[in-house]
Amino acid sequence: MRHTKVLTAAIAVVLGAIGITGCSSSGSSATGKVTLNYWAWAPGSAQEVADFNKTHTDIQVNYTNAGGGPQSSAKLLTATRAGNAPDLSLVENTSLPRMVVAGAPLDITKYVKDVKNNFSQGSWSQTTFSGQTFGIPQDVGPMALLYRKDVFAKYGLSAPKTWQDWRNDAATIKAKDPKLIMASLSTDGWGWYAAVAAQAGDNWWTVKKDGSWNVNIDGKGSRDVMSFFEGMYNEHLIAADPILSPTYNQQLNDGTMLSWPSAVWAPGVIEGVAPSTNGKWALAPLPRWNADDPTVSFQGGSSVIVVKTTKHPEQAAEFAKWLNASATGANLILNVQNGYPAALSGQQAAAQQKPPALMPQQTDYYSIVQQIDKHTSAVTWGPDTDIAASAFTDAMNAAVQNHTSWAGALTATQKAVVADMKKQGFKVTEGQG
Amino acid sequence: MTQATVASEATREGARGGTGMVRRRRRRRTIAPYLFSAPAILLYLGFTVIPVIYALQSSFFAQRLTGGGVLGIKRTVFVGWGNYLGVFQDASFLSGFGRLAIYGIIAVPLTLGLALLFALLLDAPGARIRGFSRTMIFIPYAVPGVVAALMWGFMYLPSTSPFSYVTRQLGLGSIPFLEPHGLFGALANISIWGGVGFNMLIIYTSLQSIPDELIEAARLDGANEVQIALRVKVPLVGPALVLTSIFGLLGALQLYGEPTMLKPLTNSISDTWAPLMTIYRDAFTLDNLPAAAAASMVLAVGTAVVSLAVLAIVRALTRRNNA
Repeated sequence: MRHTKVLTAAIAVVLGAIGITGCSSSGSSATGKVTLNYWAWAPGSAQEVADFNKTHTDIQVNYTNAGGGPQSSAKLLTATRAGNAPDLSLVENTSLPRMVVAGAPLDITKYVKDVKNNFSQGSWSQTTFSGQTFGIPQDVGPMALLYRKDVFAKYGLSAPKTWQDWRNDAATIKAKDPKLIMASLSTDGWGWYAAVAAQAGDNWWTVKKDGSWNVNIDGKGSRDVMSFFEGMYNEHLIAADPILSPTYNQQLNDGTMLSWPSAVWAPGVIEGVAPSTNGKWALAPLPRWNADDPTVSFQGGSSVIVVKTTKHPEQAAEFAKWLNASATGANLILNVQNGYPAALSGQQAAAQQKPPALMPQQTDYYSIVQQIDKHTSAVTWGPDTDIAASAFTDAMNAAVQNHTSWAGALTATQKAVVADMKKQGFKVTEGQG
Repeated sequence: MTQATVASEATREGARGGTGMVRRRRRRRTIAPYLFSAPAILLYLGFTVIPVIYALQSSFFAQRLTGGGVLGIKRTVFVGWGNYLGVFQDASFLSGFGRLAIYGIIAVPLTLGLALLFALLLDAPGARIRGFSRTMIFIPYAVPGVVAALMWGFMYLPSTSPFSYVTRQLGLGSIPFLEPHGLFGALANISIWGGVGFNMLIIYTSLQSIPDELIEAARLDGANEVQIALRVKVPLVGPALVLTSIFGLLGALQLYGEPTMLKPLTNSISDTWAPLMTIYRDAFTLDNLPAAAAASMVLAVGTAVVSLAVLAIVRALTRRNNA
């Protein structure tokens, strides 16, 4: 019996030793090959990663689909705190400042100096704060209007130039066919409202010269914007229901939903849920507040960051540069991901592209996009956009349910955002700044 | 005395009912009980006790900004009871409990009432296709919570709901399942649908343990089936009812899955509709783990207080009945 016990113990020790030496803890083996983990959600990312792996023998990338923008940000923060974060991650530009404050992205200024000029100033400013670069822009979303050209033509209407035109078009169509809905502005669309308010001249977050923040969510311009759309909602010209829900997708498919004021990445999304409507949509510049001012903002847009806990920052930065700044990568973003690349080379290549599958009849699609992109102004996102999102959505839900003022949602959001920034320790001022 | 004699004496004692002097038996010291319970204890320590201690510890800290510049970096700082004060000052967290109360008043009595009713019906002498009925009542419990909530979401959305379709054909319009006032019933329905089977099984099993002689005696006394059910069976499954009602209360206090699944479909559910949703939002969406830890502690203590209160009430009632 004694012998059996000793024998069992010995076998256990030997197996354990083999096990420990067998697995390697880090991603590099004796030959120097580096394995990186990359989190993203954009369609086509898997192919982009596969193409990189084919052409780079010394760096191999593992791709994981981490869910949509908000979900993967939440997961990234939790994983970083737990110590098992990936090496790289795609991050929405609206979340990047709060990621920086949370300590997730690495400062990669010294690695990416050579690609800075591949991007426009507006794109680059989305990932650089106080002279430190925390990410490389991947795609940008200049705002635009997608609309059902066939239905508009049926009622003798063309693409609206101003928001008032859009409202008039909605009233005209409503009078002829009450079943049709011009658009649905969902209550969780805080980023959209912020961008449209910026179009009207009110920036929700600005950085002052002394480095402190100014929060102006509740300004007159923003309030006018909210009242305008609230008026449309009260006249049943638009809905305020969640978008891309089963009900919304059904409305897209049966032609009840007539337009989507969003951005240049929208055609891929609509085509994904309503391919039967291919050929009926068209893209137009976003309606404006002032007929003479074509400036629009970005909605959405994402960047790739190198996570602070990575063991291979240089190789990770190299992958990020290949994907977002090189001509090959930009082409993939354009063709496979159906995004509008932030890289200037990609945008120039886009001009020669065929239009997206949703509007094959609109052959001048990409020249319109280039025109739109010439008149964009970047939005500054604050360090607590998550608080803004939560407060705004809850306040808008209450406003829609109780038929109270939509501008009141701005007051509630301002209060929550300022209180949170002060509690965290930022220097904050309020008002028109 | 030898071991065998001691053992046989003990057996005779046992057969006689165990009265009289009990001889102390020499027991061989075994570690078998400890080995058998070790996995459960280790898992309990690892997945319940240690996380609770960790959460308690992190609830006394907070993230504050350091470093100048436009975007500083957050560092962990000791704040004592600050997070707990924040919890009690958070109006949305506290109003979540109000919504829970309304939901609980609908869901818990209905679940238990239906479970008791089905169990009694299945136990009645004339019941047919007992096995099939038992399975059909239990199957909803086997559906995972998320799947059930998604499925019911489709049944509630006006455009895809079969029920709203029928009422629209009858000219009554869509049923407002996902409107604020209809939401409590809608959410309660999902958990009643899922919970009745499990609770019914507990009560049914408890009914099986009632000695047949009692039922026969009641029948000989002239009681009909309803009277037997109400006067004989229900009081005897009292402990099972207490168990299931505590489960029901605990489940209601931890409501999370159903509102979260229905949230993308409607404007009526906010981020803080239920307390556990607020905790999730603080922990993962707002990256404020310490505040979430403090709120979790408050919720856990509240849950324990409610359970102890229920048990105390039951004990007091039983004592009064027996006195």
